[in-house]
Amino acid sequence: MKTRNLSLYIALLMFCSCESRLDVEPTLSISDEVALKSPENVKKLLIGTYEINGDAYSYGGYLQIFSDLLGYDNYVSWNGTFSEPREALTKNMFSNNSLIQEIWNNLFKVVSQSNLVLDHLDVFADDAERSVVEGEARFLRAMNYFDLVRMFGTEVNGVPIRQTAVTDFGGILEIKRNSTAEVYAFIQDDIAKAISLLPEENGEFADKYAALALQARVNLYLGKYAEARDAANAVIEQGGNVLSPSFADAFNLDVDGAEDIFMMQVTSQSGENQLIQMYASEENGGRGGDISINQEFLDIFDDDNDERKHFYYENPAANLLSSKYTNQFGNVPIFRLAEMLLIRAETNIRLNTFIGSAPLDDVNALRQRSNAAPLPTVTLEDVLWERQRELAFEGFAIYDLKRTQSSVQGLPYNSPKLVLPIPRSEMDANPLMEQNEGY
Amino acid sequence: MKVRLLLFFAMLSTLALAQRRITGTVNDVQGSPLLGASVFEKGNTSNGTITDINGAFEINVPAKTKTLIVSYTGFTTLEVDVPAGSLPMLIALQESSLVLDELLVIGYGSTSKRNLTDNVVKLGTKDISNIAVSNFQSTISGKAAGVRINQTNGKVDGGINIRIRGTSSISAGSEPLYVLDGMPVINVNESNNGAPMNPLLSLSPSEIESIDILKDASSAAIYGARGANGVVLITTKKGKAGNTNVSLNISTGVSSPTHLVEWLNASEYKELFTEAAINSFGEEDGKAEAEGAFDFLSNGTDWQNGAVDTDWNKIAFRDGSQSDIDLSVSGGDLKTQYYFGGALNKTKGILVGNDLKRMSARMNVKHQLNSKVSAGMNLGISKTIIDRVDNDNSFTSPLQSIAQSPLSPAYNDDGSPNANTLYANFLLEDLYASYTTNLRRITGKIFAEYNFTEKFKFNSDLGYDMSDQTEDQYRGTQTPFMSTNGYAYNSSAKSENYIWSNYFTYKNDISDNNNFTVVAGQEFNNSDRLFNSVTGTQFPSDNFTTISSAAEITAGKGDNSRYNFLSYFGRATLNLRDKYFVKASIRRDGSSRFGSNQRYGIFPAVSLGWLVSEESFLKDNSTISFLKIRGSYGQLGNSEIGNFASRTLYNGVSYNKISGIVLTQPGNNDLTWEKSRQLDLGIEFGILKDRLSGEIDFYKKDTDGLLFKVPLPGSSGQTVFNKNIGTLESKGIEIVLNSKNLSSGYTRWSTSVNLANNNNKITSLPNNNADIIVGENINQVGQAVSSFYLVEFAGADPANGDALYYKDGLGSETTNDYSEANRFIAGNPQPTWIAGLTNEVSYKGIALTFTFVGEWGASIYNGGGVYQSSNADFFDNQDKEQLNRWQKAGDITNVPQARLYGQNGTAQSTRYLQKADFIRLRNIMLSYDLPQSITNKIKLGSARLYISGVNLLTFTSYTGYDPEARADASGYGFDNGWNFYSAPQAKTTSVGLNVNF
Repeated sequence: MKTRNLSLYIALLMFCSCESRLDVEPTLSISDEVALKSPENVKKLLIGTYEINGDAYSYGGYLQIFSDLLGYDNYVSWNGTFSEPREALTKNMFSNNSLIQEIWNNLFKVVSQSNLVLDHLDVFADDAERSVVEGEARFLRAMNYFDLVRMFGTEVNGVPIRQTAVTDFGGILEIKRNSTAEVYAFIQDDIAKAISLLPEENGEFADKYAALALQARVNLYLGKYAEARDAANAVIEQGGNVLSPSFADAFNLDVDGAEDIFMMQVTSQSGENQLIQMYASEENGGRGGDISINQEFLDIFDDDNDERKHFYYENPAANLLSSKYTNQFGNVPIFRLAEMLLIRAETNIRLNTFIGSAPLDDVNALRQRSNAAPLPTVTLEDVLWERQRELAFEGFAIYDLKRTQSSVQGLPYNSPKLVLPIPRSEMDANPLMEQNEGY
Repeated sequence: MKVRLLLFFAMLSTLALAQRRITGTVNDVQGSPLLGASVFEKGNTSNGTITDINGAFEINVPAKTKTLIVSYTGFTTLEVDVPAGSLPMLIALQESSLVLDELLVIGYGSTSKRNLTDNVVKLGTKDISNIAVSNFQSTISGKAAGVRINQTNGKVDGGINIRIRGTSSISAGSEPLYVLDGMPVINVNESNNGAPMNPLLSLSPSEIESIDILKDASSAAIYGARGANGVVLITTKKGKAGNTNVSLNISTGVSSPTHLVEWLNASEYKELFTEAAINSFGEEDGKAEAEGAFDFLSNGTDWQNGAVDTDWNKIAFRDGSQSDIDLSVSGGDLKTQYYFGGALNKTKGILVGNDLKRMSARMNVKHQLNSKVSAGMNLGISKTIIDRVDNDNSFTSPLQSIAQSPLSPAYNDDGSPNANTLYANFLLEDLYASYTTNLRRITGKIFAEYNFTEKFKFNSDLGYDMSDQTEDQYRGTQTPFMSTNGYAYNSSAKSENYIWSNYFTYKNDISDNNNFTVVAGQEFNNSDRLFNSVTGTQFPSDNFTTISSAAEITAGKGDNSRYNFLSYFGRATLNLRDKYFVKASIRRDGSSRFGSNQRYGIFPAVSLGWLVSEESFLKDNSTISFLKIRGSYGQLGNSEIGNFASRTLYNGVSYNKISGIVLTQPGNNDLTWEKSRQLDLGIEFGILKDRLSGEIDFYKKDTDGLLFKVPLPGSSGQTVFNKNIGTLESKGIEIVLNSKNLSSGYTRWSTSVNLANNNNKITSLPNNNADIIVGENINQVGQAVSSFYLVEFAGADPANGDALYYKDGLGSETTNDYSEANRFIAGNPQPTWIAGLTNEVSYKGIALTFTFVGEWGASIYNGGGVYQSSNADFFDNQDKEQLNRWQKAGDITNVPQARLYGQNGTAQSTRYLQKADFIRLRNIMLSYDLPQSITNKIKLGSARLYISGVNLLTFTSYTGYDPEARADASGYGFDNGWNFYSAPQAKTTSVGLNVNF
């Protein structure tokens, strides 16, 4: 009988008591408590915000691509298989366009993570440190809201403003659109604060001049020319940037160049350059030339010696591909000095002022760099053409068209076809959201 | 002490008493000897023997012994009286009817079909073996009612989807739990090329003795939080006491795609695209546009005169093949039984560049130390090498080449792949790149059983499962999209799983036909996963293909994760008068996957059975030979949501080589398992001595707390949120009929039919039942899970060829403005009816077996339709149907006017949705067993020659490649019914030889 008892005892011993083994922590990730409680981690959260900002669906390229495809008539051809970008070029977009959905989501993702940073500024004991972090987060939030409102907003109907981060995603997330005016007021406020908070120099991250450049761009778009002019002038005069020696030197850079005010950073290990994907040959890391240049674009140049006119190469299908995007891991330019010069020139002409420099000098500075004959005189129209030559394929087309009230493919500047649809996914999940006209 | 003394006296008396020697032969009713049948002295299970190859036995029993018990698997156990004389006994065993006495594995024990109160399907070697597929799951397709088995598509490594009684979850896992020889095994897809792979490819079908599928709650409840999708219990082959049996099986076969879609040839292509360009740009500009494109596409060949007419189907597909060799040695005596087996499978896929090779070995040994203790070990090892092709959503996947123009040559004159095609030519990838997956697997188990008494025993099983999957990719300088002088990716995913189960079993025979059994135990399961990968670019030349030669390392990953389960379980079964059966079970599971306040769950189940045919009023009924009514009810869980789904997670990222963190997952502390409650009512019957037998089951499964990735409005900053929300109801009927149509002399014919209906319906959703829409699929209250939600396409406007859509669903007013049309429920991605039909006909040694499977009610959305069937919207080759495009006023057609770049009808709509009903001859086998007179002469136990086929015939109105092909790229796939350049299944014919020594 004893052996039986012993065996039973042994058998029972085999039943382990191991409930504590059910506490298993993830090793790849950290939790809320860790992420939001120390200044080090909140700063890392800010760097993470830049990472999201540089996503392919955002400033990594698709934002610029959508603007240009929507704004161009016959300057470029779309040769790719994806129907989503083609919908932009043919001005026939659908609300279930998955790229538009990703663009929308990513812009709001940056807003959300910027908010998360702004909501946790209390962790900083050091005021200087706190100012920089706040300034950068406001800059990023303003930048993303600006693209949200100009892409998805109409003249009156803007996008929802989220001033703080959502913390309970199980709660009510329905939100209405704010008016366009409200959104711009919010953006202007963020930019003004960012300008005052940010330092003169901040490495590859946003500094005061990046915020001023954004201010110039926003105000130009809103027709607030004096504000645009002054901001652009401040960047030109105090920002320390100079034009790159040649036009080619301004592109495909691994680190910020002489004229770069702000870039999205790309390396072979991080960051995304979707412009390469769509514009470059397979050899250069692209899809082979989904977007190619047409003769109509070459025709906008008035001087055959203009380097910018010949800034292309041929792929095997004999399509012309822009040489602006040939470095697979090159940074993506967001604000170049050239744009600031053009803003100053345009606003000075519009306001009939000579702040900083004569408009003719600003325009000719760019022309001369590209070996184009300087203009004897300059008109508003000249500056607008110069913008097209200088800033092609950098994401300006649809906005320049709208603010100058021009038409494209027979559509007036305020055609609902030139406003992106609110993505169907947002419409489906947010009952308070109002769709744009025509979708 | 008393007991021992008694035993001692009993032994003494045994010795003292006279022994007598009995000899005899055990045959089946046809007179064929049965090898390995057991013959025991009644009342003394320690005294027994087994029959030899001639069915002969010899046993010494005490003179007073009156009865022997003779048993053999698959035959009715017989009690025979010991004859008075010394003549050898002649014993004939009857094959057990209805397989009622077959042992069913039910988890921590077994039972017989007769006593079963649950719904369990058993499939044996005859269902599994000699079918030319490389994964074991596909062998049993169509053979179990309500069990749908599909390979995602026709790649040799394609993921397997098993749905037992339909889908009972929306976004948690829907795959059943696989249990191999009593231990849950790793079934995690570790593929890194975007297409899921079947992790259980590592298991050779030849190792498997039987598969038991637990379908209802009562049977699966013993697996608690992991049983909601049903449980597949795999039992590997064991040795049987008796002479050593050596079995060799060799087979080889050829395969081809089940069906091909026809694409435009060169002249049709020219015609359609010229017309499309003219319609879009006018006569002159249009012609120029089209001809410019043709010039490029033809790559310098004379397209005007039809120099090239490439059929890209022929480039993407090839003749596949499959060869199998397996050899096993098994046998043993009453104390020790062993099985050794090895198998080799070589499969050449039907897609260019897709191959598989598997080597596997298994050893199962069991030894009875003494009357109290037995112990043993199972060990399976295997290595599988797979040459993979890209996922369906990749330009370099072979089947995407059907998008290429027929004007484009596939190869240059020098035989190298033509690089100047519309899309990247996959042949470049095939030639200059490789993607090899090596899957190494060890599944082992040691086990011991200790019998305290005849009634009370203890089992301890320690299992270990290791899956080590490495993937090696190299893309050379000549591959498409290559800009970094070569690219290499290596990954290693190691998962280890150990499980320790300990349980007591108490079985008490109260009287002859009253007994009860109680099982109680504990199980601990620990699962660890370690993952590493590294990516490198910039290679000196294509001669260097390993990461060490990469000048730049561009990415690296390292991750480990773990989950644990701690469980307690118990089960009691009661059998009263062999007529009334009661079973109750309970399991308490704890898992690290859930929040600390939601960590434990209790899963009870109860079932009842009444064997009506044993009642006096039916016992002697000549018509009804068997009748049982049973019912069960229980609660199960589904914990397949990933390891850390409840946590708020911030992941590390890098921006310009500076580290940052990003919120990747909003947390939900209340997250827990899905609970499903299932009711099953069944009736089993046999008529006319079981000539006709069957089962009818009705079930209803209610799942609540559905684990759900709720889509969030993007404006919140996140896009999904894990939540237990909503309820789902799934119900259906399963009918199984087995008929012995003919059984006279040498001729036998039996038919088995199973038919299952499953209807699932969402009964509630969060936010006041708000619809949840993901792409083309919707989850809406009152509708099936992931129903298609699309605008109804209305064909071409007869007046102008514009694509028309119905504004408010089928039959309503039409519009050519897509944005004016509303979406409606347009179909179900899952079938509502599935069926299987198996026939077995034999005459003497010739046998014909075939199984048909059918599915009804599912639809497939062709995600590639916008490119393939777009009335020449872009230069992708078009299906032949597009030739029926609208051309002039008055044309009535479903294909709108061809307009190059015109997006005329390319918006997502029912235009690209099709019913996927089909009936398919899943497998067929014609075999010939050499007569014994010959096998004896050549000294073989048995020999069989066979021809078998898989998927040889398909009946369907579906016009895509295959109604059983779904997209394997992430975000598409099986549960939402998408097809995207997905390969059809393979159709295989093979010949084989099976010999036993």
